[in-house]
Amino acid sequence: MEKPQKTPEEQQSSPQMVAPDGGWGWVVVGSLFVSSALVFGLIRSLGVFFVEFVQYFGESAQAVSWITSIGLAMQQLMSPISAAASNVYGARPVVMMGGFLSGLGFILASQATSLLHLYLTMGFISGLGWALIFTPTVASVMQYFTLRRSLAMGLGFTGVGLASFAFSPLFQYLVEAYAWRGALLVLGGLSFNMIACGALIRPLGTPKVVVKAENASKLNKCSSLLSRIYEGFEISLLSHRGFLTYSMAITLFNAGYFIPYVHLVAHSRHIGFTEYQAAFVISVTGVADIVGRVASGWFSDLGRMRMQHMLVVWTGLLGLSLMLIPVAVVYSGLLVVSVVYGFCAGAMTPLAFAVVPEIVGMERMLGALGLLQLIESIGGLLGAPLSGWLKDYTGMYTVSFIAAGSFLVLGTFVTMTLPYFWSCTAPPPPSPSQKKSQDESIEDGLLKQTLSSNSVPEILCPSDDIPYSDKE
Amino acid sequence: MLHPSCTQHRTGQRPLFSMANVIQLTLLLICCDGMNTETSPSPQSDPGITTQKAVSKGQNQVIIEELAILTPQKIELLCNLIDIPNNPPNITGYWTKDGQEIENSEESVNRNNEQYILKRTFSIEARDLGNYSCNFRENEAQVTFVLDVPAIKDTRNKPVVSYIGDSVVLECKLKLKHTPNTWNWYKANDTEKVLINVTANPQNYKIVINGSDTKLTVLNLTEEDSGKYICSAEFDIKPRESYVKLKVLSYTEPLKPFIAIVVEVIVLVTLILLWEKCNKPQQDNSSAGENDVCSEQTSKLAGDENNGVNNTARQRKLQP
Repeated sequence: MEKPQKTPEEQQSSPQMVAPDGGWGWVVVGSLFVSSALVFGLIRSLGVFFVEFVQYFGESAQAVSWITSIGLAMQQLMSPISAAASNVYGARPVVMMGGFLSGLGFILASQATSLLHLYLTMGFISGLGWALIFTPTVASVMQYFTLRRSLAMGLGFTGVGLASFAFSPLFQYLVEAYAWRGALLVLGGLSFNMIACGALIRPLGTPKVVVKAENASKLNKCSSLLSRIYEGFEISLLSHRGFLTYSMAITLFNAGYFIPYVHLVAHSRHIGFTEYQAAFVISVTGVADIVGRVASGWFSDLGRMRMQHMLVVWTGLLGLSLMLIPVAVVYSGLLVVSVVYGFCAGAMTPLAFAVVPEIVGMERMLGALGLLQLIESIGGLLGAPLSGWLKDYTGMYTVSFIAAGSFLVLGTFVTMTLPYFWSCTAPPPPSPSQKKSQDESIEDGLLKQTLSSNSVPEILCPSDDIPYSDKE
Repeated sequence: MLHPSCTQHRTGQRPLFSMANVIQLTLLLICCDGMNTETSPSPQSDPGITTQKAVSKGQNQVIIEELAILTPQKIELLCNLIDIPNNPPNITGYWTKDGQEIENSEESVNRNNEQYILKRTFSIEARDLGNYSCNFRENEAQVTFVLDVPAIKDTRNKPVVSYIGDSVVLECKLKLKHTPNTWNWYKANDTEKVLINVTANPQNYKIVINGSDTKLTVLNLTEEDSGKYICSAEFDIKPRESYVKLKVLSYTEPLKPFIAIVVEVIVLVTLILLWEKCNKPQQDNSSAGENDVCSEQTSKLAGDENNGVNNTARQRKLQP
């Protein structure tokens, strides 16, 4: 019969093909907005607490700053696990669990009696929660949009910038009213809102690994578990040339991207501007960042240029502006360069994620995001200490800015070696059937086996098909 | 008799202010250990003299110099006036303390190479601290020396907050790096202050003194520990005091907003999941056979007639 033969393949490919491009998708964008605000916006505003920790525990500022380092490292290193879990259970339960964990971390931190407790709670537990939230939410937004993907991503990420503005005074108020313990408790409650964000992510279809596992139910448990792990983590990507190239480029971007956030204020004070002037430079950069995200997302969706070309443009400009920062000694010059830097940094962010499905295809996107974050964390872990060491060695920030800029320009060149880069039109996305023939001969054989039995229609077909088949 | 060891040497310079037609005022300080409290001034030939220049821009500029006085001593204050128009042979100068002219301080100053030097020695005890100014009858120029004990850095006026059973660190720091003889902490009780004695109460208080700053750690906080804590820097001449307010909260305080937020999250999540279940039957007409919470509720609302109609329709469908 035709129907049972077609429906398994349709069921597998249709969840990925159906991208509403609107409607509920905008609600998911809102969920990404709130999640990125409560994850990255929160991390950026934790400086208020550090002053309190230094005074309460009597530790150095560097020891206290390890808290955010551990949290960020956890968020990136645990990303593949989060992607795998979403491949198995779907995005919604994973994000809700992540929201719960991140809130739990802060609640436990409010009871801390030593800095180690803070490392374990705010660092490990909340960091794991953030990992479980970020990757699936981003992937879900990308599943919901095809035509307006970049704009959706850009809008979603504006949460970070706006939150950094709003959270600093809010946290200051909380610390003054409730001391850091009470403030952390309230922050834990705020983080629980991400559970609600997770609830908003309606699944678009059954998760990948579940579908394949159902087809592979005849195999024995052990190798099915292995194949589930293989599928969940998308280890097949490690042999994909486009993915490897892109991950190297992203690592280089990451090495240079965060350096100005750390050093711009210190550099401005170093050349002789006042505290308020330096703070104004940072604010202007932040506003340009937010504008850049939305503008770049909107422009890239117009389709005039290919996403990969646009990414190269923004990162090239970003690298150049970074190298120009040490040249700007006049205040107005520094402001202009900082605006350009902020705009390009914001413009690059939605594209860096939106380009992933183009390279690896929608099916493997979730796993790709997880692995990407893991690999790019190397860049982040190397970049900041390297620039700090360069500053200590040379006594000025000039060399570290030039190094950051050159990382970005190098990443731009690596991006240009992506497959299909030099063609004017986008290549056809790798289709699911092609991929199946490449790596799953076992699954293929099983599929033919199960098709002959009658078990498949009961699992996959909706119930109203049964009366028709009975009639016939 | 005189101990030149205590010389205040300060090289505070304001290099941006020197201009040609500017009245330049210089000051000279000689200080000596006030071990014997005679008020007879005789420090002119002291070899340990250091000078300090303060330059003013324009005739009507008022210069203020802050001098930290830690012990009772004799100080010679000197004002040097240059670049006066017309260069008269002599001018009259006088001293004021806190705005009031000091009696018998007026004297005539002779010109000396286009400079007019007015100086006077003051014996400073606790009651003599204040603002001393040299003024001239013919000129608007004025230099004020603020003689005071070193000031303590102003803490934020908001109280320090902590919790019952927790510990808290209160800090007092001098603005500049002077070292008092010691620091004392007091707890203010309405009108009087009670000295905090660490040896008598070691499990509740800890005091750390580090030169120009001090930290008081209060352990095992209770509600009664709330209030004003006064830190006192003890100098020979006079103590300098400042206060820090402490507020001790119980754990229920932050719990209120926390519980409010958690309740809000639970309500939101329930609403979202419920709304999705309600919308499902409308989108998916064929799943009428499923036992949905929402469809049961809606069918109850719609009334039994509707339910009967639906059921018969389903039965008709299944029977070929």
